[in-house]
Amino acid sequence: MNAATLLEPFRHEFMLHAFAAGSLVAAVCAVLSCYLVLRGWSLMGDAISHAVLPGIVLAYIAGLPLGVGAFASGLLCATGTGWIKRHTRVKEDTVMGVVFTGLFALGLVLHVRTPSELHLDHILFGNLLGIEPGQLRQIAVLSGLVLTVVLALRRTLLLAAFDPSHTRALGFPLRTLDTLLLTLLALAIVASIQAVGIVLVIAMLVTPGATAFLLVRRFDAMLAFAAGGAVASTFIGVYVSFFADASTAACIVLVQALGFVAALCLGPRGGLLRRPRPATAQRA
Amino acid sequence: MLEPFSYDYMLTALWVSTLIGAVCGLLSGFITLKGWSLMGDALSHAVVPGVALAYLAGLPFALGAFTSGLLAAAAMSFVKLKTPVREDAVIGVVFTAFFALGILLISLFPAQLDLKSIIFGNILAIAPGDVVQLVAISAVCVVVLALQWRDLLLFSFDPNQARTLGLPVRRLHLTLLLLLSATTVAALQAVGAILVVAMLITPGATAYLLTDRFGRMLLLGSAIGAVTAFAGAYASYFLDGATGGCIVVLQTLGFFLAFLFGPKHGLLAAGRARRRRCLIPPALAP
Repeated sequence: MNAATLLEPFRHEFMLHAFAAGSLVAAVCAVLSCYLVLRGWSLMGDAISHAVLPGIVLAYIAGLPLGVGAFASGLLCATGTGWIKRHTRVKEDTVMGVVFTGLFALGLVLHVRTPSELHLDHILFGNLLGIEPGQLRQIAVLSGLVLTVVLALRRTLLLAAFDPSHTRALGFPLRTLDTLLLTLLALAIVASIQAVGIVLVIAMLVTPGATAFLLVRRFDAMLAFAAGGAVASTFIGVYVSFFADASTAACIVLVQALGFVAALCLGPRGGLLRRPRPATAQRA
Repeated sequence: MLEPFSYDYMLTALWVSTLIGAVCGLLSGFITLKGWSLMGDALSHAVVPGVALAYLAGLPFALGAFTSGLLAAAAMSFVKLKTPVREDAVIGVVFTAFFALGILLISLFPAQLDLKSIIFGNILAIAPGDVVQLVAISAVCVVVLALQWRDLLLFSFDPNQARTLGLPVRRLHLTLLLLLSATTVAALQAVGAILVVAMLITPGATAYLLTDRFGRMLLLGSAIGAVTAFAGAYASYFLDGATGGCIVVLQTLGFFLAFLFGPKHGLLAAGRARRRRCLIPPALAP
């Protein structure tokens, strides 16, 4: 394999768009993943990303921008789960499972009933190699917005993620902060759908944060590691998928998972190949 | 209205869905009590690479799915033991990696593997060999549950007390995990990987809102699972497919009805009770 072949992916415009869109989405999801991993909300990304499906189909029927429908439907899932949780004795994770699968199933039925040009495959698994300039702009705007808000409020959001009771005791509006984080999450998921699809975006919202958590102790470093690692994984994943002729989203997620395994084996915090330490070395 | 019953494939789909719905509904009582909803979701995604490999190798799909699910469960408990990362994050990392591997395999061999039937299930075109596997899995699950349900109940409800009473907690944990994997594999055929978790929690959560007795909750969950699966498969005949979607929409609808109108724990009943309570204090207030 010579240099020309190795550089082949960079000569196609669609590949350059894929690299750009993938990196943006990966960075935003990675930053959010740090908060979700600390807050114990990994399932929330899973739930919201599945729940956007009926919104997309309904927005298509109504002729609205698909992103608006996706956002509304994702937010409905998050707030609906919270509301039902407050009014029943059923556990929160169960309520979330009931709500998001119900919404996803509704989306499936609506999709079957609507003769449309919506490709379910593209919604589920993304279509990174088919990103158009308009979509790229949309992704850039959404990612920029989410990143700006998160980085501007990163200390407060961190406190809420790390110790909710303490946050409330200090007088911060915890409910508002939680809603803000959920809104940002829904926005990030809307931006990611076109790139990786709703099924694998959950990986981008958990794995980078978990990997960085194994590697560093300071939160700012965790943010940087997560974002850097996710962008690098996306780059490698897209590049590999060009040659392997395989699902782009799956390649990205697998590279991220390999990163986690590497951090698990070699990382300074409980790396398996380091000196053995007691398994009870829990986070303070 | 009776047209679906005149086709052999619909008859098969109807009774197989009903069977799977009943077995999943039975187990869902334990899963909701134990708080294993995320685990059900994770396992149902994690079986996909196993299913893909089994189809590629010409092996029974249940074998591949079961192996893959157990590998994922083992990987989760290993990582959880070795790292300080929270449990939900570990589950998320592991199951998405397995699922991505499955999607990768499917995208590499598009001719041999049908993405749609694995992700969304395809009960309307189920092969006779698969029916045999499903009946066997269901029978084993029902027998194990019938023999062990009291111990499993205590374990789901309060593992510490179960340990204090001298029950083999580790074995019960493993039993429940195996049952969960087995029913996941069975439900995969009916509703597909993404919606399996609904079959495994929604009937149980609905029954939990309707009754306070565990025995009744199990039977009610099983009945809800069976009825919704039958009705969903029936409805999907008129909707040209999306059997899984129909079944799960009906189950969610059932949950909402129970949530709103449940006799004791429903939203309206709770509101009435609150108002009744509120009527007393003003009279007592100074």
